[in-house]
Amino acid sequence: MKAWQRYAIGIALGLVGGTAFAVHQVRGGLNDGLVSNGPWETGKSFGTLDASTLTRAKVALSGLMALPAKEAMYFTATHDSDGRKLDGRCSYDVRGGTLDGRWWSVTLYEGEGWLVKNAAKRWSVAASAVTPDAQGRWSFTVSPDAQDGNWLPTGSAKAFDLTLRLYHPSPEVIANPEKAKLPVIERKGCA
Amino acid sequence: MMRRWLFPIFAGGLVALGAYQATLLATPYALMYAALKKIGSDEASNRFVFSKMATADNQPIVRPSPDLSYSTCVFDLSKGPVLVDVPPVPGRYWSLSIFDARTDVAAVRSDRDTKGAPARLALIKQGQMAPAGYEPVLLGYDRGLALVRILLANPSEFTAVDAIRRKSTCKQLATSN
Repeated sequence: MKAWQRYAIGIALGLVGGTAFAVHQVRGGLNDGLVSNGPWETGKSFGTLDASTLTRAKVALSGLMALPAKEAMYFTATHDSDGRKLDGRCSYDVRGGTLDGRWWSVTLYEGEGWLVKNAAKRWSVAASAVTPDAQGRWSFTVSPDAQDGNWLPTGSAKAFDLTLRLYHPSPEVIANPEKAKLPVIERKGCA
Repeated sequence: MMRRWLFPIFAGGLVALGAYQATLLATPYALMYAALKKIGSDEASNRFVFSKMATADNQPIVRPSPDLSYSTCVFDLSKGPVLVDVPPVPGRYWSLSIFDARTDVAAVRSDRDTKGAPARLALIKQGQMAPAGYEPVLLGYDRGLALVRILLANPSEFTAVDAIRRKSTCKQLATSN
């Protein structure tokens, strides 16, 4: 083999390998290596100049036009509170209390962040939809089948994620999102 | 034998690093370009498009919130500054955010910032001036997106909110230069 052929092979493999690894990392979910809080994960630098090259690329893929943290924080859960992957055939209780911000909502997505078709035409549960008890505790159900009370359908999605948006979060949550009080996601049973 | 491959492998490694970085750097521009094309496909630049509420059948951008009314203006500063005027929608969260071609947020003004007043931004490039009454927002690229989010606590509020948001304007400043 001639020297130029060896270089051509090396460079071609490098080009393909480097590009493929970048694509793999960008597609590897929004939250790798970011801040964790129970089942929820978030980043501190979405939409800002501080974002790393990788974070910016990930957000562009899965959360284009995301707001910076002072305006809204996005917490995404792909697993339940016991660490099992969220499964569209299972039912979950999502339970929380007063969240430290002005307003919140939880939306169910599949894939890179798409609303799931369902007959009930429900895609999110917002702060205004839940009924807190005297201690401020509230809950809703995520399930493939219709439920009493507040309910988010998983539709026909096999895997899904939940995104909690917290608008105008408190300075404490912005500074330490890993310490914020966020809802638990408890699996009840699977079809 | 192996020594003959040493430099080709080293060269391949360098190319891999370069390709990795180049792909990461190009991703936001490419996805933003695609999004601007999709959002602005049937509308000219520098005017607002008032989207319907997001549903499973209507998802103009990735990860849309079904609780927010979105209005978008694909802007182009190549022919001069663009002025964005957004009237307040009382008693609820709303915001105007400006995204550049790299997906970075150049500015955000919410109801908390304007305290009940309209948001009035002049999108400018280096060397351009904002007219009186507008806050200047300096951008490094010609194209980008102005996005208005208005929170609905209940879908029945849409008609009232829609009437207010349709007074929002996004327009090129007539310039003499």
